[in-house]
Amino acid sequence: MQFAPVLHAEWLKIRTLRPLPGALVALFVTGTAFSALGGASSTSEPEFDPLFATQFGVFLGQIAAISFGAMAVSAEFRNGALRLSLAAVPQRGHWFAAKMTAIALPALAVGLLTALASLFAARVTLGPAADGLTTGEQARAVVGCGVYLMLMALFAAGLATLLRSGVTTLSLLIPFILIVSFVIGDAAGTAVEFMPDRAGQVILQQAYDGPLGPWSGLGVTALWAATALLAGAWRLRRRDA
Amino acid sequence: MTSIDVHDLTKEYGTRRAVDHLTFRVPPGRVTGFLGPNGAGKSTTMRLVLGLDRPTSGSATIGGRAYATLPEPLRHVGALLDAQAAHDSRTGRDHLRVLAASNRIPDRRVDEVLAETGLGPAATRRVRTYSLGMRQRLGIAAALLGDPGVVMLDEPSNGLDPEGIVWVRQLLRRLADEGRTVLVSSHLMNETASFADHLVVLGRGRLLADTPMRAFIESRVRPAVRIRTSDPVALKSALAPHGHEAVERKDGHWTVPHARVDDIGRLASAAGVPILELAADEGTLEQAYLDLTAAETEFTASPQEA
Repeated sequence: MQFAPVLHAEWLKIRTLRPLPGALVALFVTGTAFSALGGASSTSEPEFDPLFATQFGVFLGQIAAISFGAMAVSAEFRNGALRLSLAAVPQRGHWFAAKMTAIALPALAVGLLTALASLFAARVTLGPAADGLTTGEQARAVVGCGVYLMLMALFAAGLATLLRSGVTTLSLLIPFILIVSFVIGDAAGTAVEFMPDRAGQVILQQAYDGPLGPWSGLGVTALWAATALLAGAWRLRRRDA
Repeated sequence: MTSIDVHDLTKEYGTRRAVDHLTFRVPPGRVTGFLGPNGAGKSTTMRLVLGLDRPTSGSATIGGRAYATLPEPLRHVGALLDAQAAHDSRTGRDHLRVLAASNRIPDRRVDEVLAETGLGPAATRRVRTYSLGMRQRLGIAAALLGDPGVVMLDEPSNGLDPEGIVWVRQLLRRLADEGRTVLVSSHLMNETASFADHLVVLGRGRLLADTPMRAFIESRVRPAVRIRTSDPVALKSALAPHGHEAVERKDGHWTVPHARVDDIGRLASAAGVPILELAADEGTLEQAYLDLTAAETEFTASPQEA
C-alpha cells in the first residue's frame, strides 16, 4: 500500500476528533501566555537565564504536547477501533509510521509557532533583560523548543501504544514531569540530567554547565522518544489486535 | 470470484482453544450463515480471516491470498466486527471518510453508502448521538465502502428494529445475487433461517456442520403433517392401515409425525375424510440446530468446561 493515503487518513483522524486540535490550541495559548508571564518575573534571581525565560511556557506547553500524542493514540484502543484501522491498513508497521508522522508534523509546526510567539511575547515583557541574547541563541531556542515539543508528543504516543492506554500514559508522564524531574530533580544528581524533559530543555538555556550541551541534550530526548516508539511498534506488531 | 478459505485453522489464547482445526470454504453467490452459540469461535475466526489475530496454526485466505497481502483491502473485503468501533466524538460521515481515505476510496462513495444504509440525514451528527441500530448501520456502511467482493458481517442484526432486520435480510440477498461472497454470523436461529442459503455451524471452535440450510434441516428434523378435520375417527381409521398415527393437539388440530403432506392428503381424500386444514409441518432451523448440539454433547461429554 502507498504511504500517502494512509498518512492522509491518519491526519483526517486527528483533525476530526475535536480534543486533538484542541490540545494543539492549548499548547499554543498556554505556552505563549506563560512565556509572556515568565518574562515578567524573577529577572533578579541569580540563576536567571534570559533565553530560558523566553521559552518559560514550555513547562505547560509540553503537558499539552504529551496529551496530544497520548490521546491521538489512545483513540485507537477503545471499542475495537484498532481492528477497524488495521483492517483498512493491515501492514502494521506502515500504519504506525503514518500515525506517528501525523502526530509529529502538527506537533512540530505548532511547537515552532508557539516558540516563536513565546519569544516575541517574552521579549516585550523582559525588556532590557533580554538584550544580551544573540540571534543565534534565539533561533536555537525556537527551533529547539519546537523539536522538543514534537519529541515529547512522540514519546507519549510511543508509550501509549506500548501501554495500549492514554490514561495510563498520562498518569505516568505528567506527574513524572511535574514532580520527579521538576521538584526533586536537583537533589538526585546527574542521572536526572538525562531524563527526557531535562535533557531536551538544555537547548532552551543560554548558559549550560551540565554533562549535556544543547544539541546532545535534544539527542537524548530523541533517544527516549525513539525507544518508546520502537517499543510501541514492537507491541503493535506482535500482538493480536 | 473470490472465496474465503479456512484451512485447518487453530487459535489458542493461553490454554483455551478458541478455534480448533477448522476447515471450510465460503464460495461466492450465496449467503452463508455462520452459526454457533456465543463463544463458539465465530468472531475469532473472522478476526483470523482479517489478519487481526495470528493463528496458532493453519491458514485463512481470501481468493488464495492472506488478507494482509491485499492491496487496499477494503476494496476486496468489507467487514463489520463491532458496531461500537466508531469513535463517539466523530460524525458518521467523518468516520467513513477516514476509512475511505486510507484505501483511496473517493468521498462520493462515502455519501453513497450513507444513503444506502439510511444514515444520510444523520451523517453529520456525532456517533455519540446514534442509537445501537444506527451504529450497526454505520458499521454495515463501512463494510460496503469499498464495494468489496467479499462481505463478512458479525451479528449485523444486533440492535436493529424490525424494519432494519428486513432491510439487512434484503441487503444480504442482493449482495449474494450480485455474485459476492457473503458470510454472516449469528446466534439467532430464526434470523439466520430467514437469510442463509448455506450454513457453517461451529461448536467450541470446531466445525459441526457445513451444509446447505434446507439439507441441514431435513436431515435433522423429520417432517410432520398438520391436519384439522371434523371427523377425527374417520381420519384415524383411514391412516392406521398405512402405519400413520394421528396425534391430537391441544388447539384441536392433529399431527401426523414422520409423514409427508402428499401421502396424508391422498389417503384422507381417498377415504372421504372431511379436511378443514392440511399443511406440511416442516422442521425449523432451531429444531435442527438443537438436535445437532444435543448429539454433539453426547459425543463430547467430557469433564471439560461447559
